This record gives sequence, C-alpha cells and structure tokens, in this order.
Amino acid sequence: MKTTLTALSMGAALATALPALAEYPTRAIQMIIPFGPGGATDLSARALSTPLSQIIPQPLVLTNRAGAGGATGSVAVRDADGDGYTLLLARVGSHTVNPAMNPNLPYTLEEFRFIGVYEINPVACVVRDESEFQTLDDLINAVQDRPGTVLYSSSGVGSLPHFGALMVLDAYGIGDLDENVIHIPTEGDGQGLTAVLQGTADFFCGSTSPAAPFIASGQMRPLMVTSSERLEGFDAPTVHELGKPELAALVGWTGIAGPADLPDDVVEKWGEWLAEAVQDEDFNRFMTTGGSIVELMSPEDSVKFVNDAYEIFRRLVVALDLEIE
Amino acid sequence: MTFLEALSAGFTLVAQWESIFFLGLGVTIGVIAGAIPGMSATMAVALTLPFTFALQPIFGILLLLGVYKGGIFGGSIPAILIKTPGTPASSATALDGYPMAEQGRAGEALSMSLYASCIADLISNLALIVFAAWLASFALNFGPPEMFTLIVFSLTIIAGVSGDSLVKGIVAAGLGLMLATIGLDFIAGTERLTFGSIDMRGGLNFIAVLIGLFALPEIISYMRKSEAQDHRVRGMGYSRLKWLDFRRCLKSIFRGSAIGVFLGAIPGIGAAPSAFLSYSEARRASPNRENFGKGELEGVAAAEAGNNGVAGATLIPLLSLGIPGDVITAIIIGAFMVHNLTPGPLLFLNNADIVYALFIGLIASSLLLLIIGSIAIRLFRYIADVPSNLLFPGVLVLCVFGVYAVNNSIFDVAVMLVMGVVGYIMLLLRVPAAPFLIGFILGPMLENNFRQAMLMSRGDLSIFARGPITILFLCLTAFSVVMIIRATMRAARLKREMATYAKTSQASGTQD
Repeated sequence: MKTTLTALSMGAALATALPALAEYPTRAIQMIIPFGPGGATDLSARALSTPLSQIIPQPLVLTNRAGAGGATGSVAVRDADGDGYTLLLARVGSHTVNPAMNPNLPYTLEEFRFIGVYEINPVACVVRDESEFQTLDDLINAVQDRPGTVLYSSSGVGSLPHFGALMVLDAYGIGDLDENVIHIPTEGDGQGLTAVLQGTADFFCGSTSPAAPFIASGQMRPLMVTSSERLEGFDAPTVHELGKPELAALVGWTGIAGPADLPDDVVEKWGEWLAEAVQDEDFNRFMTTGGSIVELMSPEDSVKFVNDAYEIFRRLVVALDLEIE
Repeated sequence: MTFLEALSAGFTLVAQWESIFFLGLGVTIGVIAGAIPGMSATMAVALTLPFTFALQPIFGILLLLGVYKGGIFGGSIPAILIKTPGTPASSATALDGYPMAEQGRAGEALSMSLYASCIADLISNLALIVFAAWLASFALNFGPPEMFTLIVFSLTIIAGVSGDSLVKGIVAAGLGLMLATIGLDFIAGTERLTFGSIDMRGGLNFIAVLIGLFALPEIISYMRKSEAQDHRVRGMGYSRLKWLDFRRCLKSIFRGSAIGVFLGAIPGIGAAPSAFLSYSEARRASPNRENFGKGELEGVAAAEAGNNGVAGATLIPLLSLGIPGDVITAIIIGAFMVHNLTPGPLLFLNNADIVYALFIGLIASSLLLLIIGSIAIRLFRYIADVPSNLLFPGVLVLCVFGVYAVNNSIFDVAVMLVMGVVGYIMLLLRVPAAPFLIGFILGPMLENNFRQAMLMSRGDLSIFARGPITILFLCLTAFSVVMIIRATMRAARLKREMATYAKTSQASGTQD
C-alpha cells in the first residue's frame, strides 16, 4: 500500500513537472509505412520498432498506408504537421525510383526532411535453376543475339526491379531497351520472383532479401550482386569483379523521413534513438538474415545518399527515355 | 531425420500446453477481428505479427495461423447477422445468410457456417499434408495465360448469383469491372480515371466498396421506412440446425472444400473468388436452385466451405515453394524469416520437426475453431435480438470506423458512403450486388493476366491455347456459357407459356 502511494505521488510529481520540460515527444508518434503489411518495408519497420519502442518514452504507432507505389502514404506525411509526430518510412521505391521515373508524382524529394537511412539492400540478378543462363554474360549475349525474346519481371512499374534490370542491361551497352527486352510487371517482389520461378520471366534484378530463400533452396541462381564484397549465401560475382563499378549505385534502402519543416531538435533526438536501436542484436540478426546491411547514416549523409541515388537514376531515366507518361 | 523421427519430434513440439494456448489465442483473436466489419483477417494477421517476434518459432507461427483461420470464419458472423461481410471472403455467405437471419433462422445459418468452415478447414489441411508436393508443382504451371482463362471461367459464376435477371447481373458485373480500372495502370504506370486525385491513384479500397455495397443499402432502406420496423425485434438466433438439413448440405461442403483446395494452391487468387465459385456450383447442382439468394441453407454451407477450403491450401505454395499465395501468407512468410526459417523445399530438409509440428497444429486448429466458434456464435447471436433502431445506427458507426481503420483514410469512408448510395439505387432497381462485387474482385486479375500474357507473346493470342490447362478452361467456359444460355431461354419460354396460358384461361373464363 505504502509503495503504491509513493509510486502515485512520484507519478503525480512527474506529471506536474512534465509541462515545464515539455520535451519532444509528449505523445504517441505515428510512423507511416507507405506499403502494405508483410512487404520488405513493413517488415523492416516492424523489426526496427521493437528496439525503438524500448528507447522512445512514448508509444510508436505503425500505420500502413499503401497505394500507388508508396505515393499515398508519402503524400500523407508530406501534408502532415512538421512537429515530429507523423513520420514516414521512406524506401528506395517511393523516394528514388518513382521520383526519377514518374514526372507526374505528386511529391518531390525536397518536400521531405531525412532523419536517417538505416538499411541498405544490395540488388541481385537471379534466374531460375534450370535457366540456360549460367553467367550474366550469357544473359547479355542472349539479349543481343535474340532481341525481344528475353523477359524480366519486376514488382511493378517504377519499382526497383523494373529499373534495376534496365540499369544492368544499359551498363552492358544494350540500347533500345523497349524493343530488346520485355518487361513483365507484377504486384510485389513475391509475385515477381514467382514469375521467374515458373518460367513466365527469365530474370529478376531486385533486393537480395526476398530472393534469399530461393537461392538457399537452390530453386534460383544469382548471376550478380551489387554489393562491394561477395554476399554470404549468394555465390555470384560482385559488380566490381564484373568491371561495372557504376552498378554499385543500384541498391535499395530504407530510412526515416518527416515533412520538410521538421524542427532540428526532433531530428537530433531521432539520431540518438536510431543510433541506439540499430545496435540491437535481434534487429541486426533479422536484417542480415534477409541479406540487408544495417548502416545508419547521419541526417546530412542520408540526404546526400538519397539525392545522389536519385541523380544517378534520373540521369539514366532521361538518357534512356524511361519516363512514365 | 526419418519421417517417423520428424513426426514424433513435431508431435513433441505441439504437445505442449503453450502450443495449444497460442493456437487457441490466435483463433480467438481471429474470430473477434473477423467479426468486426472492416477489420479483415489480413489486418488481424498483420497486427499480430510483431508479437510473434519474441515467441518461439512454432508458437509464433501457430498463433498467426490461428488468427488466419479464425478470421476467415469470423467474417461470416456479421455477414449473416447484419449483411456486413467481416472479410471480403464472406461476402458470398451474406447472399443467403442474411435472408435466413431475416426469417429468424440466424442460429441455423451460423451453425451451418461454423460446421462447413471446420469441415472445409480440415479437408484443406489434410490436402496440404498429403498432396502438398503434387499440388505445388501443378500450381507452378499457372502462368498468366492459365490464370486468364481460369478467371474468364470464374466470370461465369455471375450467372449463378444474378438472381431473377441475368441481364441485370451482367450489367452489374460490367459496372464492377469498370470500377476496378480506377487507379494506376498496372503495365504502363499511367493514371486512369483518377481526376488528378492522389487518393484515387491507388484505386478504390476493396473493403470500402464491399461494405458500402452490402451493408449501407440495408441501413438506408431501414431509414426510409423505419416507423413500421421500429422496435421490431427479429427475435431469433435460437433456431437450431437439424441433422437432416446438415446432411443435405454435405455434398456442397465437400464440393466447396475441393474448389477451395484447388484455388488455394494456385498463388494469387484468394478466398473470395473461391467462395463465389463454390456457391454458384452448389446452386447449379442443387434441387433447391430457386431458393438460392432467398435464404437457402446450402448456399451458406457452400460459401463458407469455399472460403475456408482455401486456408490450408494457401500454405502449399508457401511451404513447398516459398511463394506466398495471398496477402496473408505473405505476412506469415515474414514470421518464418524472423525466426531464421526459410519457407520452401529446404524447410522439409532442415526443419522437418517444425513442418510436422505445423501439420499437427493445423489439424488441432480445425478442432479449436469448432470449439471457439460455437462459443462465439453463442455470444454474437444476441446481436440478432438488438432492436433495429439500435442495431442499425451501431452498424453504421462500426462500418465507418472499420473502413477508416483499414488505411487510416477518410477518403475510404467517402468511397464507402458513395458506394452505399449506389448500392441503394441498385437495390431499388433490383440490380444484384454480388455480380458487381465479383466484377470488382476479378477485374484487376482479368486485366493484369491478359496483359502480362500479351507481353509474353508479343500480342499473339494463340498463347491462350498453349497447353492443356488453358484449353481445359476455355472449353469449360464455352460449356458453361451454352448451359447458361439454354437455361435462360428455357426459363423465358416457361414464363411466356405461363403468360399465354394465363391469358387463354382468362379468355375462356369470360366466354363461359
């Protein structure tokens, strides 16, 4: 009874002291995931939120607002108050590929303030086990010899795998991509990989994480990875070994962003929280199992990283005339 | 590990009280979540997922599977009681379940729905255990051309749910197909019919359309003639299912389960089309054909068997190939990955104990569903006793909250309200809502698979005759269409003859 009383009085003391401090955060923080549950972004966000919610003194509310390749959720955060209580899980698709390819997108990169990119996913090009292509060269030769017969799948128009395949082929000097290879868009990485597995498409160049189980079971073979060093479990040459270092820019990433008018103290706070959260053992294990690399960037580095990636992608989009009309 | 060792290891894993506890907890969460309009089974699984991170792998996965199965059944409770399908898969259940509730036979419909669900669930689980490898390799043969022909065949179910007028059914299905084209073009990424709105880019939310179309017209028509029904208690929910009635439906349950297993094994179709296909097949085969849509017990049984038959079978591509068959299994894959388990052929080699524990757990889940489901029915059927003037406003509030919660979007609520008005106009014009919904569900699949197939063949239509599967479905479609035309013409002739007979008898009556 006595302890309860003490606890109560302490709580009351704290409660009265709080307004004086009034330090961010004073209420729950809503984190918007602009993709559906179970996707790469969703899993990454939920894995990160487990250590984060132990660090942040207020609850984190994760909300999926899927639709239009991440545009619906992104716009919701852009239009939210810049008070740090509505944040976005930004992803390569919503904040690099889509802005680069789609001039009609209702938002731009400048309309967001980046808090930190915390995860990088290398890209792997994969084929099914029975495929005739043993190396990337085989694939390139086939595209050159028999234009219009090689098909690749993606997780949708303006997605990383859509752009990834084109970027790889371009690096190998294949022009007139619309005519030479055929794009089969699907809905999501899972469907894109299924298309390769069942033979609807010949190859898929996307994040390593969804492809990892198929590689491990021998149903698929990797031909190339865009990481700087060879990846565990992916027995394939890196882009450096293949002599195409420019392809190292082809990586997926996940980060946290807010509306453009996010105040400095919020960004600073989140920097500290993220630095602590990414140390978490379970989180790291989960991310590396999926083939991701946990790498926390400072807000400045994050902005630079995202902008650089955007510039590279955009230049290619303009050069290859890949814009979505 | 030999088969027996793996089996016994799996049994040891399940035979812990925690396994049964988490499975039961999952089923309970699922039934409750499924019973709340707008809170679909998918959402319930997604929300449960983070809690499984801290659990042992087998407990976590059993918890999720419990939620999944409970959710699919739970959706039928509001579908029957208040014509508000809790999950899209239970919209076929509302077709006969709600008329039954109106006749004071809610208890009967709910029990039928539970038994059909459990039987179909058990059959689906057994199919998973026995035929997984075979069905998985079969499912891999379903590329875009095969999917397209299957969806075309599925569109013939429109005839089975059109009610009195096939023409009105086709019109409704056409409208549904057209509505599904709103949003980003799947192949080109361009905007279609979005009128520059950001919210429209993602297309119309499925749950919003579903609830608007089914639940709201009931509420609006109640509002317009409320005096007569005020304080009217439907006073029901206690009607019991008779053994003879149950036995009469068994054939439809088994047929529905088989349809569910088959469609569930093919990635990317889902439970809703399966429920409708099972329903329309049951109607075609039933001697009580005329009564379908007016409160036929067999309709409820067929619809529920169709959607629960999918539940075990969607795990076939997941476990044997590592492919998620629908949105829910895509989330469950996440749970496997968190625990460093890789779904796919390797799982049977590396983690055979987990696989067998899962199989045993699935069988147990059918039983738990039966127990928890009957408790749930007992609790929920009191809803049937709530007077209409309290019940309908409550339903409206729940619908608004539920639809908002799907995507936290007020736009979705607006879509629901507009669809409610559309649905009410359709009700007044006697245009059936079910074909509209089928068009809306199947529309994107129809279009995407057709266009993917055209990309594959560079515009050559002969790809739709590329193998035995496509040819089989094309023949089945042609056969169904011929049967439908014959049945419609016969019905029309019968009507005409009746009319002339009535006229002549009238004429002769005046001569006398």
